[in-house]
Parts: sequence; structure tokens; C-alpha cells
Amino acid sequence: MSTETIAATVNRSSLSSRLRRVMTQESITTVIVSLIVGVAVVLPLMTLFVSSFLVLDDQGFDTTWGLENYRILFTDRIIPKAFLNTLIISSGSTVLATFLGVSLAWINARTNCPLRDYLEPYNLIPFFLSPFVGAIAWHNLAEPQTGILNVWARNYLGVEGHLLNVDNIYGVIWVTGIFFAPLVYLFVVGSLRRMDPSLEDSARTTGAGLLRTTLTITLPLVMPGILSGAIIVFVTSAGEFGVPFKLGAPYGWETLTTQIFSKAVGDDANHYLGSAMSMALGAITVFLIWIQQRYIAPRSFTTVTGKGFRPNVLDLGRWKWLAFGYNLTFIFIAVVLPIFCLIVVSLHPVWTGEILLDDMSFDNYRKTLFFWEESSIKSATNGIINSFILAFSGATIAMILSLVVSHMIHRTKGMGSKLLNFLCVVPIGFPGIVLAMGVLVTYIQTPIYATLWILLLGYITRFFPYGQRNISAVMLAISEELDQSSRMAGATWFTTMRRITIPLLKPGIFAGWLLLFIIFLRELSISIILYSTGTETLSVGVYYLSNYENEALTSALSMAQTVALLVCIFAFRRIAGREALTV
Amino acid sequence: MNTENASGAYLQVRNLVKLFGDDRAVDDLSINLAEGKFLTLLGPSGCGKTTTLMSIAGLHTIDAGHIQVGDVVFTSPANNIFLPPEKRDIGMVFQSYAIWPHMTVAENVAYPLEIRKIERPEIDSRVADVLALVGLTEMANKLATQLSGGQQQRASLARAIVSRPRLLLFDEPLSNLDLKLREQMRVELKRIQNEVGITSVYVTHDQSEALVMSDEIIVMSKGRIEQKGGPLEIYSQPVNGYVSNFIGVANLLKGHVAQVTGAGRGEVEVVENGSRIRLPCILGAGIGEGDGVVLSVRPENVRAVREKNGGAHIEGEVIQAIFLGNCVDCRVRWGNFEWKILSHPRAGLREGDKVYLSFDPEHTLAVQP
Repeated sequence: MSTETIAATVNRSSLSSRLRRVMTQESITTVIVSLIVGVAVVLPLMTLFVSSFLVLDDQGFDTTWGLENYRILFTDRIIPKAFLNTLIISSGSTVLATFLGVSLAWINARTNCPLRDYLEPYNLIPFFLSPFVGAIAWHNLAEPQTGILNVWARNYLGVEGHLLNVDNIYGVIWVTGIFFAPLVYLFVVGSLRRMDPSLEDSARTTGAGLLRTTLTITLPLVMPGILSGAIIVFVTSAGEFGVPFKLGAPYGWETLTTQIFSKAVGDDANHYLGSAMSMALGAITVFLIWIQQRYIAPRSFTTVTGKGFRPNVLDLGRWKWLAFGYNLTFIFIAVVLPIFCLIVVSLHPVWTGEILLDDMSFDNYRKTLFFWEESSIKSATNGIINSFILAFSGATIAMILSLVVSHMIHRTKGMGSKLLNFLCVVPIGFPGIVLAMGVLVTYIQTPIYATLWILLLGYITRFFPYGQRNISAVMLAISEELDQSSRMAGATWFTTMRRITIPLLKPGIFAGWLLLFIIFLRELSISIILYSTGTETLSVGVYYLSNYENEALTSALSMAQTVALLVCIFAFRRIAGREALTV
Repeated sequence: MNTENASGAYLQVRNLVKLFGDDRAVDDLSINLAEGKFLTLLGPSGCGKTTTLMSIAGLHTIDAGHIQVGDVVFTSPANNIFLPPEKRDIGMVFQSYAIWPHMTVAENVAYPLEIRKIERPEIDSRVADVLALVGLTEMANKLATQLSGGQQQRASLARAIVSRPRLLLFDEPLSNLDLKLREQMRVELKRIQNEVGITSVYVTHDQSEALVMSDEIIVMSKGRIEQKGGPLEIYSQPVNGYVSNFIGVANLLKGHVAQVTGAGRGEVEVVENGSRIRLPCILGAGIGEGDGVVLSVRPENVRAVREKNGGAHIEGEVIQAIFLGNCVDCRVRWGNFEWKILSHPRAGLREGDKVYLSFDPEHTLAVQP
């Protein structure tokens, strides 16, 4: 730059040069993305809040302002019971998932259980699969009349009536607990694995036995992780729609989510009452997530030393075979048995409880998957196409957003970064069905209603924080100086992003993208509120078949979804590796 | 504020102020550095030295002041000038080296040239030249992750100088290396800087690095300059107790000037636990009779003997003697004061010995407290 240009710059110390200082590539991108995130997250929640005070009159035409909706929450015949059921289910599945998750994590990370390196990926599989499909499988396994396990118990064990029945609140707890156990596992296993073994060793030298050491040293040290996992499971269970819809609601066990669903769609639809119920459910989950983020998550790493040692594992002696058997049993119950059941049921024209080898065919797969055939069921085949479109575009858009947002939070550190960080936590506090109600009441009058766009919007708003966390985790591990040195080398902000930041973040971006792809491919509770004819998703297709067709067709589409998810999990493990997942 | 090059200095920092909230991280700091010189900003962590460096680099915006290199104004908030970092044409070596792990050494070094849209053949030859200069020719096609700390350091330096920037900035570049490598790299860095002749600003908290490498040193504390000058000047004539203590170990005693005996010379009276002594010394600038001062004596400039002889002396007791090979590190108690002394092993001082301390007036400094 020559002397004249400087003089010129100095003389123009006016609005234009002031603007030019502010209008950098970085700040423009930042402002645009903040606005998008702000509007996407805040608007539906605001509308939901406002709508909950609108009271629909008896004819269903006019609305007035008032607290009537909130009064109904307490006086209705079903809603208070549904509220209680939700609390019971969430508590029960939290206890079950925490017990399973912690014990499995401990066996895998801290003991010499045989083949534990091979068991781990299978322990995590339920996390990636759809709990709704799990409920369908378990329904066919343990339904009193036609459940395979009950039929076998009658035929081979001579049991009268039935052995098991999952079509009740206990079944909901059972399936939810099993499917969310890996969530606790993921929260705990990292800190268990990185824990300084000398902490345990020093307890052993004082004379404490294995059990005592584990209970008084090991578990208390990872307590923040356990509590975080437990709270997340409680919140996720409270917002879970598929499992209670399949196993609870038809048998008189309504929950808040099934009630919100019936207020959002169906003949007696009342969006305003649905909004009030969503607010009630949201209030509980937001409160719990706030506790977790404010008090528990910050303590999570205080017990972990940074040194990269491979901890010595505990020698369980003969008991290691018990641990091995326990772990195998979990995988059998949570993964093998449900998938086996889906396959068997899906091959029959109609499921009667008996395996009939002669009647087996792939007809159900033809009807649910072959969208080009006349006889295919459109709600199912639409779902497949729509879900892949949504998963692909949703994951891509969400990761681009996440990338810019993470960069702003961890690198720019401007005024907006605190606010943005907060906005990224908010969607996690709201169950999908609650956020979907907000999106529904916000956009129902706009052209995007009844299109795939509204689903895309709901998906991204609810789940982009998961992508953002995956990128942030990698970004925090990468020195800021790597970016800065590129700027010093003369590269602009965009060039630095393109040539340095993004290539370095590739593992995190891939892991986040695949995680979102998986989540979107199995998404139910947002889709069920926002879909309409023609925009069904894969899980909505399963819902349709389960509600209007038969178990065999339902199992076929469920199995197709499961296979797609299993392929993604395999890809995820290959790309993301052992502990790249951030939940 | 005028922008022409008034003082004739190459790097000019005028009245720099940088706030972090209410905290004045850098408070009214000015630097003038001639072209080709090597300046070190020295101070403990939190003194504002890195903030100053980041401000020159453009990685921080500043709240007030003016930064200019040659004819180019980098930043001047009063005139709404802020040149983004990538337009400042600066080479920078970071504390973590910041070698990009997804590129080879050669790709790392070529990057600044690619950004400047230089032709491929020239890039290749300049990269080869600069890798030879830092001694990394063999490692050109290795990934950054395959390099040792010292090699990453060299690669980082190569990347910083390859575009022949206006200015070189170093942010504690040797602090992650072990002692032996650090001493070796000090000399190496200085050699390379001499060879390329680029004006450099170097940030460190290690006074020996500063003394070995610099043409000029600025000692900082709490965002302000305590002293600036050449290495010898800083070491031998610290202006106050803070600099004296920071730049090396010193015995610091409070006292007052009893008498001015000549130009810049005088006697300082020190009172310690009832005993009173007058020591002839050199007076710092602007110190007159009756002024309160700090007397600064470096451990190697205290003579400790077991027999009393003439001249001003202090009587004390050895409370600790640690043999260090070429010298003995002693602590001598005098009232409540503990003297730090380096004595010759032949003097054979032991714990419990009674000793007499005497001082060479040429190496006894009275400085502002």
C-alpha cells in the first residue's frame, strides 16, 4: 500500500470507512447465521407460548385470550393421568437405563471382561436405532396372544395363558430403558476410560476390596457423567412418542406426548390446547436440562486427568465370565431378538404367532419398498424417498450452520457468542414433539405448511445442536493459532475457513453429519406433527402401517429402516472411530 | 494525529491502549524500532506483552493509539483505520508453532506464497531456499505431525519468513522446547534473523532469551513499560527494583541517599534491624540527596570472606550453602535480611560460618523504588 492510499483512507474517516471496518466477510456471515438461528429457535417457542393462551370456543371457530387451556390440563379426564404416566415412565426408564448403561460401561472400560473391544459397538447399536421400531418388535415378541415368546412358552414350557405382556406401562418402561441405556453408557464410558488408575490403586492399597473400591471411588468419580446421562434419559423418555404410542396409548396408558399428538391431528384437533400441553412438557424438560447444563456438566471433567495413559483394568477373576454373559444378554435382548422378530414377522403374509415356513415370502417388502409398482402402499414408499431427501439435505444444511456457529462461539468470541451458545442449548431442552407444535402453530398459515420444507425446518432447528457439539469438540482440541497463522500468512477469512479450518475439522464434520443423517432417517415425533399426505417420512410410514395395515407390513418397513440405519452405523464407526461421538 | 513517518523509526507504536473490559491490558505504550532490529518484549504473564504483539499482528483490535510500519498505517482507531491481519504482510511464529497437520512441511511453507499468487516454479525454489536456511530440506515431504518440536519450530519460522514480510513476530516461540534445545534454537533463530534481516518483535518471559537475542529490550509490567534499552544496559543499569529483580536475581535493599559524592555517585544509608551502614554506589538518573531508593546488588557482585578487611562491610551468618559446580549459592543472614550470594568454591563457605560482605561501588546501584 502506498502513502497516497493511506492518506486517502485517513481522509475518508466517514461512514463508509466505518462501514467497511464492520462489513468484513466474517462479521457479515456471523450476523446472517445468528439471525437464522435466532429466528429458527426463538420464533416457534414464542408462538407456542402465545398460542397456549388462546382459548378455542365450543364451535371451534373463534378464539379468546385466557388461561382456560391451562385449567383444562388439571381438570381434563385424561390429561392429568397422562401427566402422571409420563412421570412414571420417565422415572422407570431412567432407573433401568442408568443401571444398564453404567454397568455396561464399567464392564467395558474398567474390567478384563473377555472380548470387550468387540462387544462395545453392539452395546451402542440401540442408540442409533428407532425406539418406535423397538416397540413394534417387542410387541410382536411379547404380545399376550401372538407374541413369539409367549407362543413358545405355551408350546415348549407348557405355560398357561401368557408369560410376558409388554402392552402396558411396564412394557413402555422396558423398551425405553433398553433403548436409552447406550445414552448413559456414552456419558460415562469416556471418563471411566480416561480415569487415573492410581485413584483406584491407592484405594486398593488401603485394603478396600474390588466392590468397595468401585462403589466408593470409581462410581463417585464419574457421578457427574452418570447424573448427566440420567437427566438426558429422563428428558428424552418424557418426549418419546413412538414407544408409548405403540405399547401404551392403545391399552389405556396415555402419556403427554400421545395426548399432544391427538390434539395436534385427528378429529378433535385443538392446537391451542396442544400448545398448552407442550408448554407443560417443555417446562419440565427445560428445567431439568438447565440443572444439567448449569450444575452437572461443568463438573464432568474435574475428575479426569489429561494424561493419555491406558489405565490398568481390574482383574475380575472367574467373575469375568459373568460380566461377559451379562453383556451378551443385553445385546441379545436389545439388538438380536428384536431384529430377529422383525425379520420373521415381516416374511409372513399375516402374523398369527406361528412361524410358517411355507407361507414365507418377500411380498411385504415389495408392497412397502417398491415405489414403482402399482400395488405399493404410497404412505410407505413416499416415506422412504422423503426421509432420504430430508436426511441428506437436513444434515448438510445443519452442518454448515453448525460450522459457522461453532466458529463464532469458539473463535470470534464476540458479543453474540454467549447468546449463540445459549441458543444452541435451547433446542436440546425441548422434546421434538414440543418444538414441532411450535413450528406447526407458527407456520400453519404459510405456504411451507404441508411441504417438506416445514419438516426440514423442524428437523434442523431441533437437532443442529448435535452437529454443533461434534464440531465444537474437535474445534476445542485444535489450537486457535492454526487459524491465526493462516491470517498472518495473508489469507482472508474465507480462504482460511476453506483451506485450514474446514480440512482440520473434517472428522468432526463427518461424524456430525452422519449422526444427524441417522437421527433424521428415524425421526418420528417431529414428523408425526408436521407431515401431511405426500410428505410422510420413513417413521410416519411405519406409523401408518401399524395403525391402518398389519404387523407384517409394519415389520417389513421397520426392517428396511433398521438395515439403512445399520449401514450408517457401520459407516459412522469407520469414519468417526471410537470416541468421536459427542452427545 | 499525523500519519507521516515523523520519528524515522520503522516500527512505530504510539500510545497503544487495549482494554479487556475495565482492565487496561496495555496502557499507553509506545515503541520506536529501527529497520532490521530485533526487539524483545519481556515480562511476566499478564504484563501485556502478548496483547501488544497481537495488536501489531491485527489479531486484536485496539482501543486507542496508532501502529505503523514503514509508510503503512496498520491501525489507528481515531482515524477509523484497521488493516485486517492478512493485509499487513507480517510473518508470525506462534507459541504452539501452528504447523497445519493436514499439510506437508513444504505445503505449509508454500502457503503464504500461494496466497500471494506467486508462480509455481518460483514458489518451489523459494520454499527450497528457505527450508535449506532452517535446515529442513530433508523433511520437506513429511507431514507436520511427523516432526519433532524443534523441527516444527523451524518449519514455523520458515513459513513466517518465506514471503519476506515487512515484520516478523514471535510469540514465546521457544517456551515449549526443552532446555537444551531452547538454548540451541536461541542462537539459531538469531542467526537466521540476521541473515534475512527482517525487523522482528519477540515476546518472552525468559530474561536470558531476551539478553542473548535482542538489539533492544522492553521490560513490561501491568501493561506499561518499565524500562527500554539494550541488553547490557538493562542488565547492568536497571532503573528500578522491578526490572532489576526480573532481569536476573538481585539483592534489593531499601535505603536513602545520605550523600552525593560526585556525578552519578554517592553513598546510600541502609538500616536493617538496628545495624546501620553506608555503602558507596552509583546513583540512577534523577536521584538526589535524601531520596528514598532501592539498592540493587547482583549475587555475583557480593564478595564474602571470613576475615575482616577494610572498607564498608556487613557482618552476617551463612544459613545455606549449595554447591553448584562452578560456584556456591549462599544465603547470608543480616538481621532480617537474607543476602543471595554466589561465591567461589575455593572460598569454602559452610553453613554457620560468620562472614564479612563487601561490595564493589561500580556494581552497586541505587535505583528508584
